[in-house]
Amino acid sequence: MNKAQGSVWLLLWFGRGMLGYPLECRAAADAGRRCASIPLDKLLERVVQHAELIYRLSEESCTLFEEMFIPLTMRAQQIRGGNTCSTRTFAIPGSKSEVQQISDKWLLHTVLILIQSWIEPLFSLQATLDRYDNAPEVLLNKTKWMSSKLVSLEQGVTVLIRKMLGEGTVTTESHQSWTVAAWESADMMESITRDYALLSCFKKDAHKVETFLKLLRCRKTGSLSCLPI
Amino acid sequence: MEEVFARAWRKTGTRLMLLHLLLLPAGPTNGERFDPPGKPSLISCRSPEKETFTCWWEPGSSGGLPTTYSLFYRKENSDEVYECPDYHTAGENSCFFDKNHTSIWVNYNITVVARNAQGSASSDPVDIDVMYIVQPHHPENVTVSLVQGENPYLQVKWEPPHMVDTRSGWITLSYELLVKREKDDKWQEHFAGQQKQYQLFSLHPGVTYMVKVRCKPDHGYWSEWSSTTYVDVLDYIPRERSMWMLLAVFLAFVFLILTWVLTLKKNSVKHWLLPPVPGPKIKGFDSRLLKMGKSEEIFNALISPGFQVPLDSEDLLVDYLEVSDSPWPESGHTPLLDRKDQGKDPVGDDCAGDVPAVVAEKCGGEEPEAQGCRQNEDPHARVGLLPGNGNCQPCVQDPPYHVSEEFPKGLPPVAWENDKPPSCSGSTPARGNSDLSNEYVSEKWQGSFPVTKPDQYVEVQKVNQENTLILKPKAEEETEDLLQLALREQDYSKVSKLVNDRILLLETRPADPSSRCGTGSSPAGPPAKPALHQLQNGYVETFNLQPSH
Repeated sequence: MNKAQGSVWLLLWFGRGMLGYPLECRAAADAGRRCASIPLDKLLERVVQHAELIYRLSEESCTLFEEMFIPLTMRAQQIRGGNTCSTRTFAIPGSKSEVQQISDKWLLHTVLILIQSWIEPLFSLQATLDRYDNAPEVLLNKTKWMSSKLVSLEQGVTVLIRKMLGEGTVTTESHQSWTVAAWESADMMESITRDYALLSCFKKDAHKVETFLKLLRCRKTGSLSCLPI
Repeated sequence: MEEVFARAWRKTGTRLMLLHLLLLPAGPTNGERFDPPGKPSLISCRSPEKETFTCWWEPGSSGGLPTTYSLFYRKENSDEVYECPDYHTAGENSCFFDKNHTSIWVNYNITVVARNAQGSASSDPVDIDVMYIVQPHHPENVTVSLVQGENPYLQVKWEPPHMVDTRSGWITLSYELLVKREKDDKWQEHFAGQQKQYQLFSLHPGVTYMVKVRCKPDHGYWSEWSSTTYVDVLDYIPRERSMWMLLAVFLAFVFLILTWVLTLKKNSVKHWLLPPVPGPKIKGFDSRLLKMGKSEEIFNALISPGFQVPLDSEDLLVDYLEVSDSPWPESGHTPLLDRKDQGKDPVGDDCAGDVPAVVAEKCGGEEPEAQGCRQNEDPHARVGLLPGNGNCQPCVQDPPYHVSEEFPKGLPPVAWENDKPPSCSGSTPARGNSDLSNEYVSEKWQGSFPVTKPDQYVEVQKVNQENTLILKPKAEEETEDLLQLALREQDYSKVSKLVNDRILLLETRPADPSSRCGTGSSPAGPPAKPALHQLQNGYVETFNLQPSH
C-alpha cells in the first residue's frame, strides 16, 4: 500500500509538472511553432465553470453518502462536532467585506492552496469507499469525477496565476489530517464518520473556491452576471 | 327559642361568607399552576444576501407566566457562547444577525431558550452555515412592454433585489418568469438564466398577459414571486381579415364558374328540371300557317309534298280540247276545240290533217298524228270536224286529233275569241302541213294564250256569231279542289271510242244526246251539237251549242 501511494504521488507530481501549462505555449521551447493562447475572460469563465461543477458534485456526493451510511440521529451531531473541518495555517476570510478587501493575488493564492490541499484526500476517499460493501456505484463515480475535475481546476488556476500575476507555480503540501495513512486502522463506524466529515468539509471548501473565483471574474471581466442591468 | 334560631342563622351566614371568600380568590389560583415554559423550536434561518441572516423560532406553551426567549449560538472552532445581537429588527420571536456577526463558511450552533419564573426550556440545537440558507428577495422593478412591428413581442425587464450584491459577483442570481394569459389556468415557465431581460414571442392579439419573476442564487432557495404585472396586447394581426378576404374571393370565383357552366348547359338543366311534354305533330303540317290564317297554304302543303301526280295513269291527265279558228270551208262554224288526248287513237287518214293540233310544242313527234301536233299554229284543229281533204267530215266523231303523249308544259289554253269563221279547211292535211295559215291563227293564239297549268281544262262559255266557241280555262277559278272536280264529273260524258278519226263516240247518258253525227257535211252540223270538252279524267263535258246562226 505504501508503494502504491508513493507511485501515485510520483505520478501526480509528474503529471502536475507536465500538465502545468495546458493552455499556453511555451515560448522558450517552441520558437518555431505558433499557437494561440486563451484570453483572460474565457479562461476565468472556464475556471468558474469548473469550480461550479466541482461544488455540485461534492454536494451530491455528500447527500448520497448521508442517505446511505449515516443514520438520521447522527446527522446533526456530526456537524456539531465539526471542528475538524479547517485547521489551517492561515485564516480564511469569513465575510464579504473581508473578502472584498483581499487583493487578487491573495485570492488566487488562497484558491490554489485550497485546491491543492484536497487532491490527495479525495484520492484516499476513493480507496476507502471501495472498501465498503454497499457503496453505490453512483457515489464512486462521482467522487472519481470530482477528483479529476479538481486536478484540471488546479491546472487552470496555475495558468491564471501566471497570466495575471506573472508568477510561477506554487505548490503546497496537502492537508495532513486527511491523509489516509492516519486512518487505516479505524473501524467501520469511525471510517464512515470520518468520510462523512471529509465530504462535508470538502463541500464547504469547494464553495469557497467557487465564490472566490466568481469574485475574481467580476473584478476582471464584465461578465453577464456582474452587470447591473 | 328565637335566640337559638338567630344564632344558628348567623353561624351559617358567616360560614357561607367565609366559604365564599375562600372560594373566590381560590378560583384563579386554583386552576393556575406555574409551569416552566414549553420547549420552543427553531423554525428557520434565512439570509437574503449572504451577508446577514435571521432566525425565527416558535414559542412553546408559556406555562402561565410571562416567558422570555433568548437565543444563543456558538461558532465553529470555538466554545464561546454568544447571545443574539438583535431581537427586534426582524420582528417577534426572531433574531437578526447583522454583518458584523455573520461569518460565512462557519457553522453556527444555535439554541433558543425560553425562561419564566418557574423554569426554562431550550430548543434543539441547529447547525447553520450561511452559505446554505441564502434566499433573496424577489426581483424589483419588473416592467413589461409591447414592442410593435411585424412580429410584436413582449419585452420583460427587471432588477435584482436591491440588497443582493451581484456586481461584485458575491452572489450570482438566476431568474425565472411565469407568463399566462388572463383567462388561462396554467402558467408558462420561462427560465431566463442570469440575464435581466427576456422576450416573449408568439403573442395572442387582443389579450391581457400576466407576468411575474423570481430569482435564485447559485446555491440557495428560490425567492418569492414578484407582484404580477399586467399588460394588454393590442389586436395587431390583420391576417385574419385578409384570410377572410381571400376566402371571399375564392368563393366568388367558384360561384362565377358555376354560373357560367349553368348558363352554358341551360337547356339541359331546364330539361332536367322541367322535362318537356311532347306535343302532337303532323308531318307536313305547319302550325304556324294555321295561326296566320292561311289555310290554303296549309292544305297545299299537305298535298304537294306528298302528292305524287301519277304520270303513268293516263286517265288522270288533263285532256282538253283546243279550239282554234279554222279556215276550212266545210267545217263551217264548227267550233274548234283544242283537244289533247293522251290516248293513242290512230288518227291517221287523209283527213287527219286538221288535227286539232294545238297543243303545243310538244305534240310528240313519233306518231303520225303528231304532225298536227307539231304545229302549234295549226289552226285547223277541229274536234268533231274531220276536215281532212275532202273526206273530212265536220263531224266530231272522228276528229283527227293529235295525241300528245305527254303533258306539254305550259299548254296554252284554248280560250280565245276568233272572229274568223271557222271553216273546215280540208285543204289542210293534218299531216305534215305545218304552214297552213299558221301565222294566221297562231299569232293570235300565241298572243292570247295565257299560260296555265297542265291539268287545267277549258270551259265553253258561248258560241259567238261566227260559230266560234268561246272557251275559258277552268283554272280561272282560284279554289279548284277535288270536290269541285268530283262534282263536275256528273256533267261529263265519257268518250267511248273514236270513229274514223273524226268522230267521237260518247257514252250514252240519258240526257245527253248521242253525239253521233253522221253527215258531217254541213258545217253547221246538228243544231245542238254537243261540244265536247274533255276533261282530264276521260270525261267529256257535253253541253248544247246554240248555233247562233
